[in-house]
Amino acid sequence: METATNDEQMVERALSGDPEAFGEIVRLWERRIFALAFGMLGREEDARDATQETFLAAFRSLRGFRGEAKVSSWLHRIAVNQCITRQRRAKVRGETALEDEAEKNAAVFALPMDVSPARTAEKLERSVAVRRAVGSLPPDLRQVVVMKEFEELTFQQISEALEIPLSTVKSRLYTALRQLQMRLQKFGE
Amino acid sequence: MPNINERPVCHRAEDLVTYLYGEASEVEARDFTEHLQQCDACRSECGVFQQVHDSILLWRNEALGSAFSPTAVSIESAVDSTQFVQHERKLSALAALREFFSVSPLWLRAATAFAALLLCVLGVLAISRAWNRPVQLASDETEPKYSQQDFDKAVQKRLDEIAKLNKDQSSPKDIKASTNKKPADHGNQNQVAANGIKQKTPRPHGFSRQEREQLAADLRLIPRDDDELPFVLSDEPKQ
Repeated sequence: METATNDEQMVERALSGDPEAFGEIVRLWERRIFALAFGMLGREEDARDATQETFLAAFRSLRGFRGEAKVSSWLHRIAVNQCITRQRRAKVRGETALEDEAEKNAAVFALPMDVSPARTAEKLERSVAVRRAVGSLPPDLRQVVVMKEFEELTFQQISEALEIPLSTVKSRLYTALRQLQMRLQKFGE
Repeated sequence: MPNINERPVCHRAEDLVTYLYGEASEVEARDFTEHLQQCDACRSECGVFQQVHDSILLWRNEALGSAFSPTAVSIESAVDSTQFVQHERKLSALAALREFFSVSPLWLRAATAFAALLLCVLGVLAISRAWNRPVQLASDETEPKYSQQDFDKAVQKRLDEIAKLNKDQSSPKDIKASTNKKPADHGNQNQVAANGIKQKTPRPHGFSRQEREQLAADLRLIPRDDDELPFVLSDEPKQ
């Protein structure tokens, strides 16, 4: 990434005590991290919390950042770990964001009024089906799908962020797409 | 959607996703396009994966808003990302006006020009009117105000002064003579009045006619005899 130098410079400025520098990092990356968290967790509230926790964790571990990896990869790794941790906690508590009917009902009212009710219901049903399908993927496949589809990262960026080979990223994405197709097949019939 | 289990699997799965997400080079893309024409498995999966991709985008756009793009903010830090966001141009007021005129039809341009001209003319008229307005010389607060009583007092004071002056000027001899000649000197009364000498006659109420005329003359309410006004008739009969 061409801006890696800028990101590293901002980290150096933050380490030297510049209070604005870390805020700049947050401003640059919060949308991407939020998209990643939303794709991983499936709920806006959880995604916001995970985004916040990601930047808090990054700030705490700022001194441990050696510059060996890019800032983007470093932040993505923290975000993915935060999401996985949150999901484990939720599973222990018996919460399932993907089956939250209240959120589903709220989404009906949020849709535009000019769309016909039948069309609205169909879109909503499809949206819920996709969310459930993505949520049911194993974490290693899900994070690749989310990084590609939500964050629009390149294969190379995903490879660097997850510290896995480029071919692994592609094969994981291929596997994930096949599994998603299988899970969505019921909806298409 | 065909069942995944019924589809054959091709060994070029990685090339397929690279091609689908537009990250293949020109040579790789051309090569895979040729492969697609021969491989039913890849051709089938291309269509299926496209549907999955569209479904995920639909979910993303519904959840995060259709205008959402993760590269919108950090575009500078992701120049090699798959999507580029075009930043909105910030025009100056003059440039925006020029652009507005360039795209507006002729009638709108003419109407705008006419409205601007009319506004200018009205402005000039308003300024010229304000310029020619007469200036008030003295404000009402600075001018002394007199009531009817003040006015009556002033008149009475002046009358008293005149009466006193006349009293001082009239000698006792004249008074005596006038008293003796009273029945016969009727014709001289006008002459006396003309000389400004009033005959002091004790009257219970107000002034005599002569005194009033003298007073009026002194106050310049009526012209004097020497002003030669034709409508002032003498009391003397014409001979």
